[in-house]
Amino acid sequence: MRDYIIRRVLGMIPLILIVMIVSFGIFSLVPSPFAALSENPRIKKADIQRLKHAWGFDLKWYLRFFKWFSGVIRGDWGPSLLYPGSMARDVIARALPVTVRLMGIEFLVSLVIALPIGIISAVKQYSVTDYVVTVISFLGMSMPSFWLGLMMMMLFSVVLKRPDGITPLLPAGGIITPGLEDASFWVKFGDRAQYLVLPVFVLSFISIGGYARYMRSSMLEVIRQDYIRTARAKGVPERSVVNKHALRNAMIPIVTLVALSMPGIVGGAAITETIFNIPGMGRLIIAAEIKADYPTAMIGLLLISVLVIVFNLVADIVYAWVDPRIKYS
Amino acid sequence: MAEKVIEAKKKGQKKSSEDYTYVGMVFHRLTRHKLAMVGAFMLIFILLFVFVGPLVWRANPNEQIEGLEGMFNVPSRAHPMGTDDYGRDVLARMFFGGRISLFIGFISAITSTLIGALVGLVAGYYGGWADDLLMRFTDAMLSIPTFPLLIALASVLGKGVWQIILVIVIFGWMVDARLVRGLVLSLKEQEYVEAAHAIGASANRIMWRHLFPNTLAVLIVSTTIGIGGAIIYEASISFLGFGVQAPFASWGNMLQNAQQFIWNSPRLIIYPGLAIFMTVLGFNFFGDGLRDAIDPKLKL
Repeated sequence: MRDYIIRRVLGMIPLILIVMIVSFGIFSLVPSPFAALSENPRIKKADIQRLKHAWGFDLKWYLRFFKWFSGVIRGDWGPSLLYPGSMARDVIARALPVTVRLMGIEFLVSLVIALPIGIISAVKQYSVTDYVVTVISFLGMSMPSFWLGLMMMMLFSVVLKRPDGITPLLPAGGIITPGLEDASFWVKFGDRAQYLVLPVFVLSFISIGGYARYMRSSMLEVIRQDYIRTARAKGVPERSVVNKHALRNAMIPIVTLVALSMPGIVGGAAITETIFNIPGMGRLIIAAEIKADYPTAMIGLLLISVLVIVFNLVADIVYAWVDPRIKYS
Repeated sequence: MAEKVIEAKKKGQKKSSEDYTYVGMVFHRLTRHKLAMVGAFMLIFILLFVFVGPLVWRANPNEQIEGLEGMFNVPSRAHPMGTDDYGRDVLARMFFGGRISLFIGFISAITSTLIGALVGLVAGYYGGWADDLLMRFTDAMLSIPTFPLLIALASVLGKGVWQIILVIVIFGWMVDARLVRGLVLSLKEQEYVEAAHAIGASANRIMWRHLFPNTLAVLIVSTTIGIGGAIIYEASISFLGFGVQAPFASWGNMLQNAQQFIWNSPRLIIYPGLAIFMTVLGFNFFGDGLRDAIDPKLKL
């Protein structure tokens, strides 16, 4: 097992290198990221020259890659263009907690709803419940997130009003009401929760379908096995066959699901964050790309990619740890 | 054979699965899959809407009605779905936008499946360093978050139908590559491949004449579901303004400005989004049914 982990960790190095080359390559294809800057009368020519030097655009592309590479390794991630005066690292540090809060809540909500649904539809396979769950799962999986977001916004922020008849039922976007920054904890808590309702609903509705079907197929696989038939044959009540015998093994693949979802919790949801005006990682990366803020965009992408690679390994290791049938050598 | 069928008819039995060819059997199983049939009808409806619609409703999707009266018209006899922010007929834009969205979906899903198949065949068949190299590259591509890179690449390549297809293909082939590689690894151990080796068939011939046809069923399923995914990608890219550009309509770029008009003209959001949703749902239902239909272990 230890040899396996060492081998896998070493194997991550070429993977991360390829990821760096691909993301660097794509951003290097941009003819001139300074074209937009030179049109802005408020930016001095000398500043652009300095920026060119700082980003290494006066060097050949391979030298520029090494300059960027060594900067990334040393933790010097360069200045941010999107928020002039800030470093890319600070910009990302500001966006990170916003995204983690949104995506973390979304992930918990989805799991809490999806897992029981998946189990029920597996236990009662081909029943009406199973059909309803399948259809709803497909509805979620086929829904474009931006459209569901806009529809929900329309319903809860435009059509439906609070009892006073003026303020919308739920705010249309943002994360906190302006002016409430210094309010007491519970007031702030309630206020933030309002802003989270719509985005969390939209994201959960889309992901619940996938999770539920994953749980369903995992449960179906276990329920068909011989030891379940044995348990039923010796007269174990159906309730404890499902809850004790089957569920334990059916939950093992969920460990993988949780591990593989972690990078998404950091990466955020670009479109939903954009629609609901949430200053998280997803929106930051898209905004950075639109405004030609390549240091921020590249670091953001790299961060998420590295997390994906790391959590793939974590998923494999944890899987072997909880399931003694699996041996890596 | 014919006697057997007549005999079976006399006894009032239905045809058993042995009386069908493979394609016939899959088709027969598919027709018994309720959700697949719902999906098929939704897709037929969408295709009729998009391809026959313009023959019935002959309006120019790009013609703008001048002046303020032309904008944001509510549905009327002259404009069954009203007009948009430029005073263009929304119904006509729905037809032509649908053609472009479906075109992008089909072409990019088929192309990325073929590229994935090629990578998977080569990696699985040759093994060794070719396999290592190709699969590490596939892993790396899979770990990069797709959507931000789609946007980055779209802004580099320019904004057009073919560019969008290229972008979706570049980030869409990896799953198929893994799928095909896995299949090839088990297929290449079978006797008929050994027999082909023995009579001196070239690697190319074995890959494309013997292995590829056996992965086809799985690839057709993944392409069907991939079309839905590609349509959502196109819509999302266009929604953010990096996709298909005016004057061409696509269901995605019809939604591009719609968020600003959420208060006075919600119709502009509802129609194109509903069309995307129905199309993707149709492809998902149908693809899932197809997956069940080709799975011999499943009773339908």
